[in-house]
Amino acid sequence: MKTDHKRNFSIIAHVDHGKTTLSDRLLEHTATVTQRVLTEQHLDSMDLERERGITIKSHPVTMHYKAKNGELYQLNLMDTPGHVDFSYEVSRSLAACEGALLLIDAAQGVEAQTVANANLAVDQDLVIIPVINKIDLPSANLDLCLKQLEDLLAIPAEEAILASAKNGIGIEEILEAIALRIAPPRWTDCGETRVGVFDSVYDAYRGAIVYIRAFSGKIKRGDQIVMMSDNTRAEVKEVGVFTPSMQKSETLTAGDVGYLVCNIKNVAEIKIGDTITHYHNQAKEMLPGYQEVRPLVFSGIYPVETSDFEKLKAGMGKLQLNDAAFSFQAESSMALGFGFRCGFLGLLHMEIIQERIRREYDVDIISTYPSVIYKVEKVIGEVIEVDNPINLPDPSAIERILEPTIKATIHVPNDSIGDILNLVMDKRGVCDHTETLDETRLMLVCNLPLNEILVDFNDRLKSITRGYGSMDYELDEYRESKLVKMDIMVNGEPVDAFSSIVHQDKARVKGKVLCEKLADIIPMHLFKIAVQAAVGGNIIARANVRAMRKDVTAKCYGGDISRKRKLLDKQKEGKRKMKNIGNVSIPPDAFIKVLKNDRD
Amino acid sequence: MQAGLKATIETKKNELGSEFQPKWWGKTLGLYVHVPFCATSCDFCAFYQVQGDRAGIRAYLEGIEEEAAQAAVAGQELRTCFFGGGTPGLLKAKDLQILCETVRRNFRGSLVEWTVEMAPSTVKIDKLKVLKEQGVTRISMGVQSFDDALLDKLGRQHSRKQILKAYDLIREEGFESVNLDLIFAIPGQNEARLKEDIRQAAQLGPDHLSTYCLTFEEDTALFVQLSEGKVALDVDLETRLYLTCWEELERLGYEQYEISNFARRGKQCLHNVNTWKMDQWIGLGPSAASQFRGRRYSNVPDLDRWLEGVKANHPNWIDQSDLNEALLLEDALIFGLRMSDGVDLNELQERFGRKLTRSQSKTIEALESDGKLRKSGGRIRLTKAGRLLSDAVGSTLMV
Repeated sequence: MKTDHKRNFSIIAHVDHGKTTLSDRLLEHTATVTQRVLTEQHLDSMDLERERGITIKSHPVTMHYKAKNGELYQLNLMDTPGHVDFSYEVSRSLAACEGALLLIDAAQGVEAQTVANANLAVDQDLVIIPVINKIDLPSANLDLCLKQLEDLLAIPAEEAILASAKNGIGIEEILEAIALRIAPPRWTDCGETRVGVFDSVYDAYRGAIVYIRAFSGKIKRGDQIVMMSDNTRAEVKEVGVFTPSMQKSETLTAGDVGYLVCNIKNVAEIKIGDTITHYHNQAKEMLPGYQEVRPLVFSGIYPVETSDFEKLKAGMGKLQLNDAAFSFQAESSMALGFGFRCGFLGLLHMEIIQERIRREYDVDIISTYPSVIYKVEKVIGEVIEVDNPINLPDPSAIERILEPTIKATIHVPNDSIGDILNLVMDKRGVCDHTETLDETRLMLVCNLPLNEILVDFNDRLKSITRGYGSMDYELDEYRESKLVKMDIMVNGEPVDAFSSIVHQDKARVKGKVLCEKLADIIPMHLFKIAVQAAVGGNIIARANVRAMRKDVTAKCYGGDISRKRKLLDKQKEGKRKMKNIGNVSIPPDAFIKVLKNDRD
Repeated sequence: MQAGLKATIETKKNELGSEFQPKWWGKTLGLYVHVPFCATSCDFCAFYQVQGDRAGIRAYLEGIEEEAAQAAVAGQELRTCFFGGGTPGLLKAKDLQILCETVRRNFRGSLVEWTVEMAPSTVKIDKLKVLKEQGVTRISMGVQSFDDALLDKLGRQHSRKQILKAYDLIREEGFESVNLDLIFAIPGQNEARLKEDIRQAAQLGPDHLSTYCLTFEEDTALFVQLSEGKVALDVDLETRLYLTCWEELERLGYEQYEISNFARRGKQCLHNVNTWKMDQWIGLGPSAASQFRGRRYSNVPDLDRWLEGVKANHPNWIDQSDLNEALLLEDALIFGLRMSDGVDLNELQERFGRKLTRSQSKTIEALESDGKLRKSGGRIRLTKAGRLLSDAVGSTLMV
């Protein structure tokens, strides 16, 4: 295939706007996959992705399309993750493209994530092909969508293709547009070979499988290569393309998307966004846009059964093989014993990892209150990074604390603007400016502390806007803030796993909510249990778990003793599954449940 | 008896005769005979029961004869006996006589208490006469309620009128002791209706009363109603009804000696007290449980399979476990605390030759400081609040 007949593109869309369905239609239409083997949502391979209906891992595929002009084109589709936690991955997938389909739900219109991703695509100089999807829905509002395209994204309305991926409307037109509108591969004229890395997965037999886009030169089996970010040298064992299953090929040349296997085992050594070049003829410059992926959210993960520690460690190791963005290291907690401090890209990433540990490695786990990375300037001048409240130095040793903030783009219906502004204020945010999207919706750009949006911001946004609101964010600067460590005590025993760093002015309210929630989650015991929140030794909030009143079997004679013992044993087993702190049994899910918002 | 079987028994006698007799066994031995037959199954009952026909009852009686002979090999002395069910009273007078004779012929010892359970509808003069002649001292009658509407809810097996008549017959026959069973927390029953049941029961003047909170056991008609949402559990009401029983019966001169058992002074059911103290007992008949010579086990809850095992002198046991001092200490503590008298910790530790674990001692202290338990002398007793939580207390005391 000639380089100028290759087209590399992504589909960018808000969650649920039909990206996966459109991908499936394209595969079908180009006969890349026959309808029979096309299970619903072909490109999302993990069960968890399917359940949550979101794509976590991007998975490319190569198609061939004969356009109306008689020419055969090679179309490489990069399926991108659909969640803000994974925006760097999205940007790397986009960087491997020359064009993008911008998918807009005809009934929903432009959402925050659509704007954010469209901007990412524009930043990468991609050709954008707007596609209005689900036009056959009764609630479709084409005029509005087209107007939004022009107003918000500055894309001429006449460029839009009207489609229904579900019912196969407009698919041919989309393929034509990909072939004719999207530019041929760029950066082909560099003298040396440059290959971009946009993802990697772990294979038990072959080690790391690196997803690549060749920009210039070529790459084949036996090549000596260098990873330019850290000068790691390796030898190529195999290259190939996705059809969508992996298929070995001779060489990959400029404009191709495919995979590469080399003698690197661990995906943690493969940096997304890296540039691969030939060892003997090295490129002078990396492809633009590389960043080190750094976790934003930290949380402790502990086994409920202390004997599961090794099993948990092994499970995490295996997960990390396939997820370079997930980090962990051993730590210990007074309350929970030995476990791991884990770093995640965001809260969704955290939940996914936790769920996978439970399901795939069968370990019951407890996770602690999530934290961001604080920069703490000590009186002695030293600056330390703190990602775990228990590591926060004594207040007397602290000069000031800086916390990470984000710039959030929030789309909301007009009628919920008041509640949303209250929410933003409640979360210590500042609204920088607002913009009208259409007659019914507004866009807010806000600065918020990252730690405030971790737990329930998105849930509350959705709840206030009855599901119509959406948000996207990018990291902003670190800012000084009056932060304190809040401890939680259960029957007088501090439970370090519940400690959190909170803003001084919000400690009382947060403490109260946390205590009340915990009191609700902890089952009734024989005795009354006090749940208290404290800052610097002062109790600031308290809630009680009512004592159990009745738990008694009426009949208990000779014949019942074995049965009765079994019953008591079961009760005890139930308690064993809980975390015992002092004489209080706390259900393992308490540690995650306290995070969930249920005030609405 | 077959020669082979006799030989086996002889060998067993030798094995068992002089073997260990740990000091933790008390001197009493109880015998429980499960009579599995019922006319119909009650909506609340999960005990093993079958509908008896002539052949089945005859086979059962023969089986008991053989099982008794096998069980009595060690020449142990019985002190108490209890016929439970099922509905022992459903047996004809003649069959009751056979069953009583079987016990007397196979076991030594003089029974100080011999209880037979009877449903009001099964109480007949000829049966009572046989039981009295055979030496039965105590009749336990499953009254459940005096309120015909509530009896209906339980799947009516008898009426208030039948209860009163049956009680008179029992009294006329001159049994030393009579117990009446009541059930409370029947759907529709409030405190006032329970008080009325208790008043009527006490008015008859039995020396013993048992009151059981209705439980929804799996495989019962009531459980089905519960799962279908036709009846609902009300834990708060149940709690109040427990307390109503305790307070009312105390007021009427019945001393509570266990969660569900009340008696005039000196009229406690010795057979049951011995099981709660973790003494030994032997159970005969399908589903009957035994705790004997270092083992705890139950007969299979199936008439045919039980018979098979008995005939082959190879009992079909389920839930077998070996006992040891630690386990018995724990059980004597857990089940002992269900009794109002509680347990004497020194006596307990002395008897089983070991100390309470640290966590047990800590639990006891915590319960005491929380008002769920009281210590006096060497004894510990649950308070009323503690007794309402005896399952939770029990599971906390388990090692």
